[in-house]
Amino acid sequence: MLKYILLIIILLPKDILSQNILIKNGTVLTVTNGVKENTDILIINGKIAKIDKNLTAPEGTRIVDANNQYVMPGIIDAHSHIALDVINEATSPVTAEVNAGDVLDPLDVAIYRALAGGVTISHAMHGSANAIGGQCETIKHRFGTTNPDELRMQGAPRTIKFALGENPIRTHGEGSKISPNTRMGVEQIFRNAFSQAQLYMKEWDDYKKGITKTSPVYSLRNETVADILKGDIIIHCHSYRADEILMLLRVLKDFGINKICFQHVNEGFKVAPELAAFGASASVFADWWAYKFEVYYSTAYNAAILTRNGVVTSINSDSEELIRHLYHEAAKTQRYGSLTDDEALALITINPAKQLGIDNRVGSIEVGKDGDIAIFSQHPLSIYTIPQMTIVDGIVKFDIKNDEADMRIDINPNETYSSFYENQRHHESQGCMHGLEELLMEDSYAKFMRYKYSKNHSH
Amino acid sequence: MNTKRFIFILSCLVYCFAGILTIKAQNSDTPKPLSNTHYIKNCFLVKQPGVILSGQNIIVKDGFISDIGPNLKIPYDAQILLADSMYVYAGFIDAYSNTGITKPEQKDRPRIADPGNPPNDIAGITPQFLSNENYNPNDKSVTDMRTAGFGLSQVAPRGMMLPGQSSIFLLGEGNTDEMVLKSGSAQNFQFETSRGVYPSTLIGIMAKFRDLYQNAKIAGQHEEKFLKNPSGLARPDYNKELKSLYPVTTKKQPLYIVAQKTKDVHKALLLKEEFGFDLVLTEVKQGWHYIDKIKQQNIPVLLSLDLPGEEKKSLEKEGKDGEKKDSIKTEVKEIKKEKLDPEKKDYDAKKAAVVKEYLAQAANFEKYGINFGFSFLNSKPSDIKKTIKKLIENGLSENGALAALTTNPAKILGLSHLLGTVEKGKIANLTITDKSYFDEKSVIKFVFVDGKKYDYSEKPRKQKDGKTGHKMIGLWSYEVEIPGAIQKGKINIKKDGSDFKISVKDDTSSNEDVATDINVDGSKLTFSIMATLSTPVKVDFSLDFEDKIYTGNVNVASFGTFPIKGSYDGDPKLNF
Repeated sequence: MLKYILLIIILLPKDILSQNILIKNGTVLTVTNGVKENTDILIINGKIAKIDKNLTAPEGTRIVDANNQYVMPGIIDAHSHIALDVINEATSPVTAEVNAGDVLDPLDVAIYRALAGGVTISHAMHGSANAIGGQCETIKHRFGTTNPDELRMQGAPRTIKFALGENPIRTHGEGSKISPNTRMGVEQIFRNAFSQAQLYMKEWDDYKKGITKTSPVYSLRNETVADILKGDIIIHCHSYRADEILMLLRVLKDFGINKICFQHVNEGFKVAPELAAFGASASVFADWWAYKFEVYYSTAYNAAILTRNGVVTSINSDSEELIRHLYHEAAKTQRYGSLTDDEALALITINPAKQLGIDNRVGSIEVGKDGDIAIFSQHPLSIYTIPQMTIVDGIVKFDIKNDEADMRIDINPNETYSSFYENQRHHESQGCMHGLEELLMEDSYAKFMRYKYSKNHSH
Repeated sequence: MNTKRFIFILSCLVYCFAGILTIKAQNSDTPKPLSNTHYIKNCFLVKQPGVILSGQNIIVKDGFISDIGPNLKIPYDAQILLADSMYVYAGFIDAYSNTGITKPEQKDRPRIADPGNPPNDIAGITPQFLSNENYNPNDKSVTDMRTAGFGLSQVAPRGMMLPGQSSIFLLGEGNTDEMVLKSGSAQNFQFETSRGVYPSTLIGIMAKFRDLYQNAKIAGQHEEKFLKNPSGLARPDYNKELKSLYPVTTKKQPLYIVAQKTKDVHKALLLKEEFGFDLVLTEVKQGWHYIDKIKQQNIPVLLSLDLPGEEKKSLEKEGKDGEKKDSIKTEVKEIKKEKLDPEKKDYDAKKAAVVKEYLAQAANFEKYGINFGFSFLNSKPSDIKKTIKKLIENGLSENGALAALTTNPAKILGLSHLLGTVEKGKIANLTITDKSYFDEKSVIKFVFVDGKKYDYSEKPRKQKDGKTGHKMIGLWSYEVEIPGAIQKGKINIKKDGSDFKISVKDDTSSNEDVATDINVDGSKLTFSIMATLSTPVKVDFSLDFEDKIYTGNVNVASFGTFPIKGSYDGDPKLNF
């Protein structure tokens, strides 16, 4: 028996044994329930068990002194592409069947960098090359594991990426010379896909009821679009222009779909009342625009205008660099729009949690929620703040006092040594259009190769 | 007696006699052997891993081991092989490779009107294809594997996502059909995509696989129903791709998934969990994170013998090739910097630990009691023994290594009743060495494949360094075909002592790139150049020389592989 117990202890990863943690004397920013000075938070088995003053902890609990520090819920990024081996399956305007959850990369050091910015959850998204892109995965930043499954936030609702405007048009219309080649075409792609999925469901219903005897052809693509129609999947749609946003709202209304979060949504401020009326949410950049033609008409007041119009709004990164300082991005809404502390913090905590359908489990400091915590040296909305510690499920995943230089989990045994900066040079940035460089180059491929070759030999 | 009549009777007799003995070789072009009976005399017999018997004799007759024992009657027609102090092993088994399949030429693909919906063959979906169609028993790779002691290969076709079905071949000479032991032994799947068409990425491949699998299942069930009672049912569509996947969905054929790195293994296990097919993990390089699951679900594993090399060597090589003074200078600087750089020190330690993990994987699998074999997708046959020795240095037992070469793959292939041990009644695939195979200096003397003897006892000594590749020395022209253009230039190949010096110069430029990683193997030459752009790009050359011309491939990192050809242009230039 003793042997058996010992065996279990040996087999348990070290982390699991230290899931109990007591954070003492911090200024607790609960987000949903005000600020609590000099308050302790006790996390037992990965969940917040108590929030109160002068808490005592069971033996063996790790004690963290947060005196003079600020304790907030782990930051949530509703739009990111870190920890993914593939971003775009850009060969077809509809690829609802593909799933970013199949290519989670727990070895990506960007997860650790995000943790160093207090981010405990991100939405690992398919890219924006297709009108209906792939399904996404809500991940917890459990850095240190090699098993992709351990990144998944089990039980989080399914989500899928949609995209409007230039990206699908450039990829398919200009790139592959197929539809969509215009914004009208993008709308038609949605309508066709939804109609097809309706027919598909009917075919299978008829077969299951015995009305037809021959089994229909199975289509994972139609299955997935059908699940959107049934309301089982939340749409996260890459969007910029107000006219297109309204277009998609009309399409969704026609097909009875109501779970939608618009991503980027730079012209959201123009249609904020309409978004609120529909119940659509918005995930925006604080102040990032003009990187392509359709993103010129923008304002840093976007988040504030949307918030004050009653739209559930979040601020996202879409970047493995920006993800490290989302607290700064949220603070910008106080300069541009005078949001309150709670409103600004909600943009990176409870609101993105709502958009991902996980607000009952994370996004605020409440008893019963996951022990996902970020501790800052000063108020997280202060420009002088520095993240001190990040805790996921009660496990310390980042500690500024114990921050090793090389946090890579996996080193390619065949690679030759490179410094961090050399390594970065080889590392492609992970954005929305990641993986498309080659495809967009197809036409001018030979030209490009010649150019490359001539450059090869010019020095 | 009439002389003519005598000759007639004699030739009849000879004909009958030969007919009995060479049933299997009748279609072969190779000369018929004198006799198909062999008597291997007085050997150490390694019956199976861990069981060695001394003073044994073996009778091989008509392709089978007909008797084994210390005292046997020598058959009248036997060729006697004096095997004093030699070790006889069951012929080694390669459970997964592309042996005998020549690399297809890179062809320009027709433009696909809708990249989201390409024809199956262009998408890399050809499960109906059998490796028999491309197998060539006389290919160099077959000879190389046989020379390395292998008598049997399960050969997968080359290709993309679903390249086709494997067949099991005896590695003898002859024609393809004669060498087939089992046709369509396995279906294959790999995380390899066709560029630019669906599925073009890993996520596409996963989704497409699920789609195909479900439809194969549905179509298979429908066909079954239709055959029993067609009334009211639509006539089944004929779909060759789906039809070839039925046996996987009904577990009549295993699915081999090439899963090299940890995330590949995870994906393969994920798919097995979803669909429940009979999975064999193959070419596994980094599978230890899932050792528990593999053990629990009893999943057969074939470990790759393509292991990470030691860094030191490449450093030395670079040092040798550094020709210009400049490069030596920077190198010295580099070394100084490296010595001072604590990041580099930590990195080296980390990397050494990682390499160790790769090398110790086989030993760990053995300790866990997982029956694994080896696969040979990316390994050179001539290096196999060296690599296995490395695994043994890192904890694998000799018996474990031998099991991975014989009994385990036989079991994984479902051929334990025919192969894998040296026992009466089994197919006469034998590997005979002068010392224990695992002895540093052991040499393979004979290999029996299907009862046929291949003699390596008088192998010509390896050509001295100075001689190998002498035909390659010279100034060569080159033409690289990149889509829509042809890039021309010169390759200068000279010798400096025993080392090659190779440099490449493009016609449009005055600079040359000095090659590194130079390797000569027979008529094949491989080397790399680093082209400096905003980021350095590695360009790998792989050339095959034939008298005054050569052909081959150029691989430009992340851009693809392009055909190269060229011809002899005269003596090498000293200052190129």
